[in-house]
Order: sequence, then structure tokens, then C-alpha cells
Amino acid sequence: MLHNSLSELYQNSKGTTWQCDLTHRIFLKFGETLTAFKVQDFFAFRRKVNRVNIHEMIFNLSDDYDYELVEDPRHNFSHKLTLCEIVQLRDLLDGTKFSIDMNSMLHEVLGEVELVIQ
Amino acid sequence: MKDLVRLRTSLKEEIEIVLNAQAKMEAEASQKYLAMASWLDRSGYEKTAEYLYKQAEEEREHFLKIFKYITEVGGTALTPTIGDVQQDFVSFKNVFELALQNEIAVTNAINKIVAKCREVNDYATEEFMMWFVKEQREEERNARRALELFELIDESAAGKFTLDKEIAKIGE
Ligand SMILES: [Fe+2]
Ligand SMILES: [Fe+2]
Repeated sequence: MLHNSLSELYQNSKGTTWQCDLTHRIFLKFGETLTAFKVQDFFAFRRKVNRVNIHEMIFNLSDDYDYELVEDPRHNFSHKLTLCEIVQLRDLLDGTKFSIDMNSMLHEVLGEVELVIQ
Repeated sequence: MKDLVRLRTSLKEEIEIVLNAQAKMEAEASQKYLAMASWLDRSGYEKTAEYLYKQAEEEREHFLKIFKYITEVGGTALTPTIGDVQQDFVSFKNVFELALQNEIAVTNAINKIVAKCREVNDYATEEFMMWFVKEQREEERNARRALELFELIDESAAGKFTLDKEIAKIGE
């Protein structure tokens, strides 16, 4: 990693996420876009993406359902995503949340220790 | 790696979600009591109407109490959207049958939150919720007492007049 305050949280074919301990932000690189979230905003964003109705996108043949607009104006994230991209974004967000929660759980169990997840 | 979640809030996500749901339920209860009060008022039951207006205000306070707690511990309190509530009732007695049903549903929801708090070791929220546990015991008792009065006083014209006065005295 470029900077030692950054720890990678999760990665898939479409993107990567990191945690920055200096700024207390979660960085999300999805395709070409890089977005920084406060942790609670990251969780809210994940819930929003999880609310997208994938079944509509699959079964509704109208062109309107080929793409879904995923917006988070406060974080300059505004993309029309295909079904496949939504699934990849969800995987990235879920995997990231898992790492964040796991880290939190380890802190709770182990106490004040310095955790380095590589 | 820092524990960003814990630095930000003592609320676990699942507790934040159930607390927001409970805030919504309290706000809904407030709207339901308000609709009941309006029906009672236009049906001539002035005193009981007043009693339910007061209940509506209390539920609003319950809502705010939870709402502010969520923010106090670093969570995100969401303003709930309340749908349509029942505006018409089949009878005077029916209003109180529904009120009791609703209070029971609230008690059940609160108990579930306490159980969840224990599951995830959130003792601060459990302690906070204990106020509601106690409150529900009272609210259920009051709602049952109202129905009991319908058993004791027959619903003749004079009886209705007495019922209106007696129910309004509950919880004084
Ligand atoms: Fe309440
Ligand atoms: Fe109540």
C-alpha cells in the first residue's frame, strides 16, 4: 500500500476498499471512481445499494430496467449500473462490511491491541 | 487498524435498526390515538377524547425519547414515515379493544429489543429500554381497565355517559 495508514478491507474484480486510520474514512474504488465515506455513511450507502430491486431488473423487459441509477449526492457517487455491476458492488460492500465488523469484533474481544490486517 | 465503528458509536447496526423501528412504532401509536380521540370527540365522548389526546402526546414523547437516544449514542435517527391509520371505529368499546391490542404489540416489540440487546451485549441500551418495559406494564393495565369498565357499566345511554367520565379518570 502507498500509505501505511491505509489498510485494504476487501477486493473483487470490479473494485477495492480501504480503511484510512488518519482520516477515519472508508475508501471505495469501484471501476474508475474513488469515493471516501465516513463509516456510518458507508453503512447507509450499503443499505441503499441492497435495496435495489434486482428481480425487477431481471424480469422486467422494459429498457428502463436495464440500468439502475445508484446515487449518493453527498459523496459524488452517481452511476447508472447494470445488473451485473450492482451484484459486484453489493459483493464489494458486503465484503467490506464483513472486514469492518470483524475488526470491531476483534477489538472487542482482544482489547487494546494493534491489529494489522494484510 | 482502528475500530472506526466503535469510535463513531456504541450502537451496533442491528440495534440501531430495531430502535429506529421502535421509534416508528411509537410515532404510529401517537397517530392512532389521535385518530381515536377525534372519533370519540365527534361521537360525543368528550372526556375520553381528552384522555386519548393525552395518550397521543405521550406516545409522541416516547418516540422522541428513542429518537434522541439513537443520536446521543452516535447512531443515525431516521424520521419515520407513517402511513394511514384507522379513522373510523365500530363502537365506543371497539376503540379500547384496539388500544389494548396495540399496547400488547408494543410490549412484544420492546421485549424483543431487550432480548436483542442481551444477545449482543448492549447493556446500555438494555438499561435505557427498561423505562419502556415499566411504562408498558402501566399502559397495558390502563387499557385493560378501560375494557373492564365496559363489563361493569352497561352501555345504555346513561351508562355511556358514566363510561365516558370513568374511563377518562384512568391513570390519574
Ligand atoms: Fe409508547
Ligand atoms: Fe402506549
